[in-house]
Amino acid sequence: MLCFINFNHILQYIDFNKVQQLFVYDPTDQLFFSTSFFLFFFFALLIFYRIFSKKKNLKIYTIIFFSLFFYYKNSGYFFLLLFASTFINFYFGSWIFKAKTHWLKKFLFISVIIIDLGLLVYFKYTNFFIQIINGVASGNIQLLNIILPIGISFYTFKAMSYVIEIFIETMEPTNSLRDFVLYMYFFPNILAGPIDRAVAFLPQIAGEMTASKEDIGRAVFLIMSGLFKKAVIADYIGLNFVDRVFQVPLRFTGVENLLASYAYTIQLYCNFSGYTDMALGIAALLGFKLMDNFNIPFLATSVADYWRRWHISLSTWLLDYLFKPLQMSFRRMRIYGSALAIFITFLLVGFWHGANWTYLVFGLFHSTYLAVSLLTQKFRKAFYDKVHLTGTKFLKAFQIFITFHLLLITAIIFRSDSLRTARDVFHQIFRYFHGVVFFQWVEGYTQVFVLIMLGYILHFIPKSVDNKIKNIITASPVYVQAFLLALMILIVVQVESAQLQPVIYFNF
Amino acid sequence: MVSERLRKIILNELKLDGFDLHDETTANQVPGWDSFNHINVILAVEKDYNIRFKGLEILKVKNIGELQKLVDSKLQ
Repeated sequence: MLCFINFNHILQYIDFNKVQQLFVYDPTDQLFFSTSFFLFFFFALLIFYRIFSKKKNLKIYTIIFFSLFFYYKNSGYFFLLLFASTFINFYFGSWIFKAKTHWLKKFLFISVIIIDLGLLVYFKYTNFFIQIINGVASGNIQLLNIILPIGISFYTFKAMSYVIEIFIETMEPTNSLRDFVLYMYFFPNILAGPIDRAVAFLPQIAGEMTASKEDIGRAVFLIMSGLFKKAVIADYIGLNFVDRVFQVPLRFTGVENLLASYAYTIQLYCNFSGYTDMALGIAALLGFKLMDNFNIPFLATSVADYWRRWHISLSTWLLDYLFKPLQMSFRRMRIYGSALAIFITFLLVGFWHGANWTYLVFGLFHSTYLAVSLLTQKFRKAFYDKVHLTGTKFLKAFQIFITFHLLLITAIIFRSDSLRTARDVFHQIFRYFHGVVFFQWVEGYTQVFVLIMLGYILHFIPKSVDNKIKNIITASPVYVQAFLLALMILIVVQVESAQLQPVIYFNF
Repeated sequence: MVSERLRKIILNELKLDGFDLHDETTANQVPGWDSFNHINVILAVEKDYNIRFKGLEILKVKNIGELQKLVDSKLQ
């Protein structure tokens, strides 16, 4: 009786409107991995997953159902677009496979690529093109009221990998719409990647779909490190330092602009790789292995090396599906053909990130770096041989240093809202440096300074050390793992200074 | 089976000596066969046999054995 009264008493205090609100799309309250509602949501999923552990079909539908809700919570009715994209690519995939003649195959393939890219271009670039037309022809076309559906760049590329691989006959289509829906909707990677390949993901559905002891250990490690990188380091230095400088660079000295650029470089890494770590960890708990996306990117000795280490799922996608075919068709131009293929590919890398001149210039810089590096490769090698530098530690350190600073230049362009802002940052660094301000800055921004250093230290930790920590976590009892996770969540809650920062890559 | 002729063309182009090539050997197992040298190898094969590959045919090739089969199919 007493219990019953208490229960009623409690019910009075629950605001059901608010509870209902939690399950409805609200653009100001999205469901990201580092929100408390996500934790609740994910625990609920794991409980269902556990209950259905013997019934695979139910497990698959549980993930599909949760994924749909997750996407709806983040994008509202745009989940219908995801529906459309999924069905179109699924059926075109099987039609391409079954087509009797090469011409029909080609026709179907080109059609589906036009549909996929058409949707992407419409939602992402229409207004940008209208602005350009208005600028060039001094026209007055009204901008359209288009909202970018979250994650569209990622799931479109996922869908395209499926039809492309079927077309080039490196995989056969799946007969199961259910499996394809799971691939497309899979919530851990739908918003910001990794852009997993159908050819690697679909066979996993046919497997066990259960997390082993190693998976759980790895997941705990990844979620902890991801939360720390994203919610502690990236958000803190972003809100408290980088955002301020990049808002009005002219208000700050050159040394502060330079520090903000170093800070932004590590912020972007911690933000994006932290989010990816969480995605990998969450997927691992469901028994799935997603693609690795980062491999100590700032240890790269060349810009080409950097692209093998940064956002690997995007760079290998473009390497396999765009660069290689282009390079092959330009092969009669030899090295110049490769340089041209690189140039086109990386210009598109810039454009993929968004409809803004800054991203195009970012792409142009990377294109130029890579093309020049390719064309001067022989000359540089001969030079290093001549001065006996080849293979020395000094040369490696020098290359890492140069590469990092070439990337820093593009990071400034990438972060700036407009080319004017980027120009202001460079102006301050080169014309108004005031190096002595550094010491005042360290005093005033001690926490930011410590977190930047910590970010770089975490970034440079070798994979072997990561693996050792993973093994220790795997070997420890479940309650220790739970305690570690809870501790990390507590730290995150403590540090979360203001509003939650969305993942920078959501907007792409 | 990888023919002596194809073996020679590849090793010559990559300036390798006595490297063993099998049907299952893939490009990334052969020193120096990166994505830039890849087109040089393909061009050398095309020139020596006086054949021409289509882009799609080459993209499908996974290892040396498949490259040999593709060359054979062109020669027939």
